[in-house]
Amino acid sequence: MKRMTKAMFGAAAMVALMVGSASAAEKAEVIHWWTSGGEAAAVQEFAAAFNAAGGEWVDAAVAGGGGDAARTAGINRIVGGNPPTAMQFNTGKQFDELVTQGLLSPLDDVADAEGWKQHINPLVLAAVTRDGKIYAAPVNIHSNIWLWYSPAALEKAGATAPKNWDEFFAAGDKLKAAGIVPVAQSGDAWTQVLTFNNVLIGAGGKDLYYKIYKDLDVDAVKSPEFKKVADIFAKLRDYTDAGMQGRQWNQATAMIVTGQAGFNFMGDWAKGEVIAAGKTPGTDVGCIPGLGNQEFWIGGDVFVFPVNKDPEATKAQKLLEKVLLSPEAQVAFNNKKGSIPVRDDVDLSKVDACAAQGIALAKAGNVVESTDILISPDVSGSFTDAIASFFSDKSKTSDDFVASIASIVEGAK
Amino acid sequence: MKPRFFRSIAAQIALLPAWLIVIFAYLGTIAWTIRISFTSTKVFPTYDFVGLKQYERLFATERWIISGQNLFIFGACFIIGCLIFGFLLAVFIDQKIRAESVFRTIFLYPYAMSFIVTGLVWQWTLNPTLGVQQTVRNWGWQDFTFDWLVRGDRAIYVIAIAGIWQASGLVMAILLAGLRGVDQELWKAAKVDGIPTWRVYLHIIVPMLSPMFVTATVLLATAVVKVYDLVIALTGGGPGISTEVPAKFVIDYLFNRQNVGLATAASTVMFITVLVVLAPWLYSQYFRGQRGRGA
Amino acid sequence: MSTTTMEPQGPRPTRLTPARIGVYAFLVVSAAFFLLPLYVMLITSIKPMAEIRLGNLFSFPLAPTIEPWIKAWTYACTGVNCDGIKVGFLNSFRILVPSVIVSIALGATIGYALSFWRPRGANFLFAVLLLGAFIPYQVFLYPLVRMLSTVGLYNSLPGIVVVHTIFGLPLMTLLFRNFYAGIPIDLFKAARVDGGGFWAIFFRLMLPLSTPIIIVAVILQVTGIWNDFLFGLIFAGRENFPMTVELNNVVNTTTGEREYNVNMAATILTALVPLIVYFVSGRWFVRGIAAGAVKG
Repeated sequence: MKRMTKAMFGAAAMVALMVGSASAAEKAEVIHWWTSGGEAAAVQEFAAAFNAAGGEWVDAAVAGGGGDAARTAGINRIVGGNPPTAMQFNTGKQFDELVTQGLLSPLDDVADAEGWKQHINPLVLAAVTRDGKIYAAPVNIHSNIWLWYSPAALEKAGATAPKNWDEFFAAGDKLKAAGIVPVAQSGDAWTQVLTFNNVLIGAGGKDLYYKIYKDLDVDAVKSPEFKKVADIFAKLRDYTDAGMQGRQWNQATAMIVTGQAGFNFMGDWAKGEVIAAGKTPGTDVGCIPGLGNQEFWIGGDVFVFPVNKDPEATKAQKLLEKVLLSPEAQVAFNNKKGSIPVRDDVDLSKVDACAAQGIALAKAGNVVESTDILISPDVSGSFTDAIASFFSDKSKTSDDFVASIASIVEGAK
Repeated sequence: MKPRFFRSIAAQIALLPAWLIVIFAYLGTIAWTIRISFTSTKVFPTYDFVGLKQYERLFATERWIISGQNLFIFGACFIIGCLIFGFLLAVFIDQKIRAESVFRTIFLYPYAMSFIVTGLVWQWTLNPTLGVQQTVRNWGWQDFTFDWLVRGDRAIYVIAIAGIWQASGLVMAILLAGLRGVDQELWKAAKVDGIPTWRVYLHIIVPMLSPMFVTATVLLATAVVKVYDLVIALTGGGPGISTEVPAKFVIDYLFNRQNVGLATAASTVMFITVLVVLAPWLYSQYFRGQRGRGA
Repeated sequence: MSTTTMEPQGPRPTRLTPARIGVYAFLVVSAAFFLLPLYVMLITSIKPMAEIRLGNLFSFPLAPTIEPWIKAWTYACTGVNCDGIKVGFLNSFRILVPSVIVSIALGATIGYALSFWRPRGANFLFAVLLLGAFIPYQVFLYPLVRMLSTVGLYNSLPGIVVVHTIFGLPLMTLLFRNFYAGIPIDLFKAARVDGGGFWAIFFRLMLPLSTPIIIVAVILQVTGIWNDFLFGLIFAGRENFPMTVELNNVVNTTTGEREYNVNMAATILTALVPLIVYFVSGRWFVRGIAAGAVKG
């Protein structure tokens, strides 16, 4: 009996030890998927700012799958009643059901005190607002529809930066002839979706984009304009190399940084990799914000703050909300991340040449909302399947592609 | 009557944890899954009723159909491949060879490694620009091509090869155990009658080992239905959606695509398929003709 | 089971004939196929990045270095943290030991009860467990998260132990049930006549006989639980993340270029525990299977 009591006492002490280590003041456990070189450097800025403000940043990065693994872990923890202090999502519909289930805290008190409503880009603000309340802290604006190119590779092949798709393919042929990979593409499905949206907006235009993703208009899919988009997207397949499968996005970007490839379709986070390699975006690596039609895509990342019974955790949440959107942290973070700040009252003088182009486009109203804002993850997944299966199978014709997109749009209504 | 009653009490108490697990974790989960598959649930359970809508959508989805086909191709190649290769390894190791334990360990070690671990190496070895193809080309055969991993119509076979690499050692271990149980007299008799060795193996040994083959097949089959890590590590379902499998379909829709209704419908279809295939075998294998034991 | 010898039973040639050479040739070629990935991992892990960039996957390192191993263990980064995979090593053990013990203890008891006592509903119980072995884990995730959080075990060490026990149970039960089915029923009957109760017979008679199958069970469970990624990620909680989760983070974290040498070193380090278990106990594994695990 005595031994048993001792054992139980030991077990209780161990439990106390485990619980004890998890509860200190102002501690914020943050789930995110920023693990590449540029991303990690950027999130370090947030962590430093939060720690300087008296908090303690507990990093819970989960790598892989464009956030899939991190979201799986985070959503399960929220469902299981053991939520993290804050959790990353993409700007858009991904966290809709968490809001309707009442699992997320509204941020309006901090937002009012910090002037979010006056200074945050209205499209971004709308994307985090549900029923008049703000449910997420947007931290950056990313544009997915950039075309990056290597001036060195183009020069070697005797080509110049293209202004439209015909020039693009002409340059591609020259690169091929010079033994350079024309388009550095990753085999991951989401990067192929990104390339498709580049073509859709660049060659098809903003109206067509909205007709398909927002209005879910089947006639638009069957129109000659979309057929042209499908043809260009089909042709792109011949300008990629055999190493595509198994290559990650940043490896594809590295190919244009080193001049092994000519072009790369990627979001502006590619700049993080360019900078991490010691090069300057805009000069060492060229940028085109949408080939054919220049637009700025409004997407990015937000943090949500799950409802918490622990007052200490709630305090940490409030502090973190404030820090993430403070002008200083915004500038420091976004410069490293390659995105632009969500606030307009911050110092934009230090942004690079590419970001300046993006900011100018956004000011002129040439913006499109991201697909994450327009369609649900479910519908988005169907698009991903169709796009990736078309892009990696050259036996599929552009007519097959039009038919498969049409059936998705039909089903999504 | 009395002894039987007491006997049952003790045994039932011992089985209590098992009953709890079976009722809550297995039966409860299955019932819940089937119920949810008839709802429009996105992320959080809503207990409405939409009939067979999720099932209709499921079977109209190209990716699900491809997943099913892939499971069939993979399952057939993987199970048959493992059985044949594992049997050959067991037979050859059983020839009074030197360094038997070294060979046995080599054939068995892949089973100890997860595919989170080895997937990258396989992906690498089979990548046309890095691995086998490039190496052979560097040796001078410029036309050598081995690009199955990046070809939509072949990648699933590559996944089967990696699976065979991992699991045929286990089959070898099971069959080797069986071979060691074969009576020495049999070999003497076969020698006297002048029957060629290969015929003894094919016509006498293989039928004798059939219980071991069954066990191995069951173990392999459980791995087939669950195949997920292997695909994630090697291809991520690509190129395109050409190597998608049902388990990956379920988890994608469960979490990333936030359509739990569709995911549970897919799970239910998987579960019913397993039940239909397995029920007759289970019955004949374990529950028939066992009366009288355990008196 | 005592009649099974561990000596090779095949036909016994004596001289080095062409057939003999064929046997060895087959074994050596097969061994090469099995060892290829391990070879690639090992040589890559000791190459500097400059050599890896050359792309000769199979070539021997010109300037071997152990730096990648040190980095993988102590300071490889994920996100903001740069602690390498050593953090997960201890966690994996904390998950492994109780999970292996509990699941095997439970499997042995159930297998014993099913084989010799056959209480009411035993067949049904066994059928469900067997079916359970075929259901993809993913199906269980969501309901299990809710159940465990209801009883307050979600995201804790006991929680992950429960999960591993649940999923290990079908295989463990099958192993022990089949093993006990091979034990002569008269032995059990004699013990009953001597007045042995349920637990007495189990602990005094059956358990001492079970060593071979316990070894098989330990090997299978150690391998399975150590290599688990999905359950660890979802049920263990951040403080208890096993090594495989750390490995995934390290492998998927890229700074400009993928550090293949560090990835490979991390990979081998993660696989070390099950590998050692196999190398040390491989002999008993085959013996244990021979001792009854395979009796249909």
